[in-house]
Amino acid sequence: MKPTSWNPDVDVAEWTGTQRPYDIIKEGTIAVVFVLIVVLTLSFLFGSPDDKPVTLKQWSNAAPIDFATTAFQELAGTSGVAQYGAPYNNVPGTGQKIGPVSLVNLMGVTIPINAAADFVLRPLGTQTSVPTVTASLATWQHASATQQQTWLTNYAKHLPTAIRDSVMVVTPNDAGPVPSLIGGLTTMAQSGALDNALLSNSTSYFSTNYTEPLLFLSDGTYFAGLASDKHLAGDQWGMMNETGSFPGQAWLWLYTFLYQVSPYSTSSNADALVWATMMLLSALVVFVPFIPGLRSIPRRVKLYRLIWRQHYRSEKH
Amino acid sequence: MVHPERFAALFNLSHPGHFISWGVLQVSYGNAVVIVLMVVAFVAALLLPFPGHRDKGGR
Repeated sequence: MKPTSWNPDVDVAEWTGTQRPYDIIKEGTIAVVFVLIVVLTLSFLFGSPDDKPVTLKQWSNAAPIDFATTAFQELAGTSGVAQYGAPYNNVPGTGQKIGPVSLVNLMGVTIPINAAADFVLRPLGTQTSVPTVTASLATWQHASATQQQTWLTNYAKHLPTAIRDSVMVVTPNDAGPVPSLIGGLTTMAQSGALDNALLSNSTSYFSTNYTEPLLFLSDGTYFAGLASDKHLAGDQWGMMNETGSFPGQAWLWLYTFLYQVSPYSTSSNADALVWATMMLLSALVVFVPFIPGLRSIPRRVKLYRLIWRQHYRSEKH
Repeated sequence: MVHPERFAALFNLSHPGHFISWGVLQVSYGNAVVIVLMVVAFVAALLLPFPGHRDKGGR
C-alpha cells in the first residue's frame, strides 16, 4: 500500500511478482572477457599512437631563430612563463579568476620558476669547457641590474633573424655578453646538453620531471606550430583529438566545446570559467537524486518502458 | 633481438588526420567513427531483445 506522502521519484513499491536468480559473477566475467578480446583485436589491427617526444635539441636545430628569440625572452624576463604568475612566480595582476576569487593565487607559487636563472644562466654555468660562455656569464653576473637592462634593451633592437654557416647573424649593438649567452645556449641546446641540464635542475633523485623543458618549449612558437599542424591546439578542439588519424578523447567533447564558444572563447579567464562550468554540471549529475524536476526526467521520458517492453506488454494482459 | 616490425599494426593510422568542419564544430574522422559506433551500440541496447529471456516472460 502506498503511503499518503508517496513520491514516485524517491519511494519504491514493494515487488510482489515472481523472482529468479541472477549470476552477476557470470555476467561480469563475460563482460571482462568480451572487452579483453575487443581491446586485443583493436590493438592488433590499429596499434596505438607513438609520437616521439619533442626536445629542445629538436627545436633548436629545426628553428634556431625561434629558439634564440625565446631564450632572449627568458633572460629578459618577458617570456610567457616569466610573466605567468602563480604557480610559477609572483607577478601582480595575474591569475585567472572566478568572480573575485583566484584559486591559483590562493594556492600560491607551488612550482617556482625563475626563467632567466633556471632556463639560461644555470644551464650555461655547466658549460665550463667553453671559455667564451664562461667569460660572458661572469661579465653578466658581475654587472649591475641597470647595466644588464641596458644590454637587454640594445639586444632587443636587433634580434637575430638569420643563420649563416650555422651561426646566428647578430648585428653589433652594444649588447654586452647577451649575444654570447644566447648563442652559447643555442649551441648547447643543439647538442642536446640543454635537455639534460634542465632535467638536472629538478631536485628529485630520478630525472623524470620534464616541467622545465616543457615550459621552455611552450614559450616559443615552434611547439605551438607542431600542435596546430596535428590539430591539437585549444581552438581546434585539440583536447579531444589524438595524433595521426587515431580517435582521441571523444568524451571530452563538452569540455573542449566550451572553449570554442563565447564568452569562454574570448575570455582571459577561459580556463577558470570552463572548469567552474564543468564542476557545476558535474555536481548536477552527482546530486540528480536530490534535485526535484531533474530526477523526474527518466520517469517522464519513459525510456525504461522501451528497454523492458516485454514486461510492460505482458502487464497489459 | 627485438624486431619492431613484427609488432606493427595491420592498419597504419600514424598519418595526418582528416576532419569534419561544420560551423564551430570540428571532429576528426577517427572520433566521428567512435561516436557513431557508440550511438549504434546505445540504440542496439535499447532495441535488441534480451537473449534467452523471450520465452520466460521475465523481461
